[in-house]
Amino acid sequence: MISVQHFPVIAVMGLFLCAFLVEIFGAKNKFIRNTIVLIAAAGAFALIASLIKPVLLNGEIISYWMGNWEPVSGYAIGIGYEIDALNMFFALLVVTTILLAAIYSIKYMARDHHLGHYYTLFLMLSGSVLGLVLTGDIFNMFVMIEIMTFASVALTAFRNNKFGALEAGFKYLIIGSIGSSMTLAGIALLYAQCHTLNMAQISAALTNSLTPTTVLAFALMFAGFGVKSYIVPFHAPAAEAYMTAPTSISMVFSGMVNKAGVYGMIRLVYVIFRAMDLAPLQLILATFGTVTMFIGVTMALAQHDFKRLLAFHSISQIGYVITAIGLGTVLGLEAGLFHAMNHTLFKGLLFLTAGAVLYAAGTTDLDKLGGLSKKMPKTTVCFLIGAFSISGLPPFNGFASKWMIYQATYEKAATTGNFAYAFVTIVALVVSVMTLASFIKVTQAVFFGQLPENLKDVREVPLLMRVPMWIMSVLCVLSGVFYNVVEKYLLTPAANAAFNVTNYIDKMMGDGTAAAAGVTNITVDGATLSLWNPILWLVLFAIVLIAVCIVVLTGENTRGRVLAKTENDSEDGKYATFFGGEKSTHSHVAGSDLFWGFKHDFKGYFKFIQGMHSGVVSDYALWAVVATALIVVLMFVFVH
Amino acid sequence: MIIVNYVVAVLLLVLGLYAVCTQKNLIKVVLGLGIIDYGINLLIVSVGFNDGGTAPIFTISDLLNGISSNFFVDPVPQALTLTSIVIGACVDAMALALVIMIYRKYKTVNADEVRRIRG
Repeated sequence: MISVQHFPVIAVMGLFLCAFLVEIFGAKNKFIRNTIVLIAAAGAFALIASLIKPVLLNGEIISYWMGNWEPVSGYAIGIGYEIDALNMFFALLVVTTILLAAIYSIKYMARDHHLGHYYTLFLMLSGSVLGLVLTGDIFNMFVMIEIMTFASVALTAFRNNKFGALEAGFKYLIIGSIGSSMTLAGIALLYAQCHTLNMAQISAALTNSLTPTTVLAFALMFAGFGVKSYIVPFHAPAAEAYMTAPTSISMVFSGMVNKAGVYGMIRLVYVIFRAMDLAPLQLILATFGTVTMFIGVTMALAQHDFKRLLAFHSISQIGYVITAIGLGTVLGLEAGLFHAMNHTLFKGLLFLTAGAVLYAAGTTDLDKLGGLSKKMPKTTVCFLIGAFSISGLPPFNGFASKWMIYQATYEKAATTGNFAYAFVTIVALVVSVMTLASFIKVTQAVFFGQLPENLKDVREVPLLMRVPMWIMSVLCVLSGVFYNVVEKYLLTPAANAAFNVTNYIDKMMGDGTAAAAGVTNITVDGATLSLWNPILWLVLFAIVLIAVCIVVLTGENTRGRVLAKTENDSEDGKYATFFGGEKSTHSHVAGSDLFWGFKHDFKGYFKFIQGMHSGVVSDYALWAVVATALIVVLMFVFVH
Repeated sequence: MIIVNYVVAVLLLVLGLYAVCTQKNLIKVVLGLGIIDYGINLLIVSVGFNDGGTAPIFTISDLLNGISSNFFVDPVPQALTLTSIVIGACVDAMALALVIMIYRKYKTVNADEVRRIRG
């Protein structure tokens, strides 16, 4: 009987082992290949799921020393795995994503060649992300980050005959390597200060000792994990990678690879440095998050490719998560974790539907699609569930987590008296509206509207591709309706684990280590959730209704009159017919251009922001370097 | 003097980042990545350095007989550096492989022309 503490390391090693087995035995034979992949994915899922009871329900912390190299006289020598509720939460997201992506890949990738390579890389990516979230050793984390980057780059460029796949892979590699180099430099500086690589021991050693070296290390690692979670301005290569990678991999990227960055960020600021009681740091994180969500969603509005649009929404939603964890409150952290989980579910679902569209219709260009709801009704239903979730419509899960984020930011503004956080709440609301707008556009352009002539023969995707979509749809609804169950069994233990560092240190380094180092728990006074009270919701609805009525009744009546002509009238038919409407029976405004008026009004901004995403690798590298320098300066000025 | 190591490490890091940000030739960008790696490797190995220290090979009795840790060089950063060198070599190899593929497809290695995805 193997005791439960071996399970995490078996799960990680199993994935890596199967990565090589697949290449050796499964390169030619389809059946063997699929069997190995499914066994590896299901095995990892089962091993991690079996830890739910001890870790999440009983509140235990599982520690494992590789080769039984336990700490000697207070110094950690070996590599340790340590699983508390926080990384258990992320490990669950990771294994769910691995399993669903593996099932989806079987049919989706069946038309490609060299599938042995594909599955090797896929399992390497899975193993590295799982290892990254489970490890308790900071250098081990760096190695896992590097494996993750390699596998991601290779998978991005896997369909290298596709449009832009190679350049996307190259940019991803350059920016990703800058990020991991920063992390490594930070780790080296931390080692110079603490003479250990174990996260628990570093955390104990760093109590009340922010020297210039540790502040520099913190800033570099902050930038490194920022790159891995693709916050603005590190986001540009991610949008390209999500677009060009096979869709099962896009789902893996947005479902777990950027969650690994978010996990690293939480571990860094809450556990290793325990710096979240510093008000300037909270403001820095919230600012990065807010900028990320805004730029992400505005870029998404301007896209004409289904997958690139989803990629920018992915970036935007990570902005929500970073904002929420940056608040440093229990409710904020819970909201951030909840939104991270929901993002894995609904964005995974949306990517899978995009993959289904690509599989069936052969393109993801919004201008060439339309009317697919008649041909692919089941995919359409799944897409609508995902779109409702990401736009934050009740009762889907996106609504519950976004509501928590609004509440957390607003409470933060009330308790600190800092107006900036109220502004964050407003931006979050506006971004949510723009997300909804953008998904209305996608729905119209892909699933409704007119069916193009060349898509007459499109058929629904195979059952094996629909199963993961249905699972994710059901999870989206369930976690939205039973948010209090999720909150009680997943979010509260994870948030507690992030705030109560003493248990984490004591379990790893021996009882009393934390007390000897002067580490004290931050008292967690339970989040006060007033999650979506229906009466409040109705009041809000009434207010909005009244506001709309006032605007409509008092506004100038423009119906039936031709508005002032713009300079574009003569050049582009859509402007003329959209206002006039008499000459043509059908509008020239295509589904993908539904919000052209909005874009026209803000064309200065859109021109600027689209021009910034120039696609030149040196520009993106320059953003990354400037942002890193900015983070270093900010940390030195404000965090000490 | 050990301070020289740190200065050179930071200089290499900055030089590498400068190359990545300013060079338009993709191969030079990859070389910039390599220089960043060398800078960080130098930084890590300097962290464990002890002036006049010996190689860290002792029996347990030597240690028990009171040989202070100041007499040998910390072996952990050396192990980290080895790992980092291997990873750096992989990064360079993979990036160069991608550059070759890009050259075949785009017929150029100029960063300003390898930008089909933008906006």
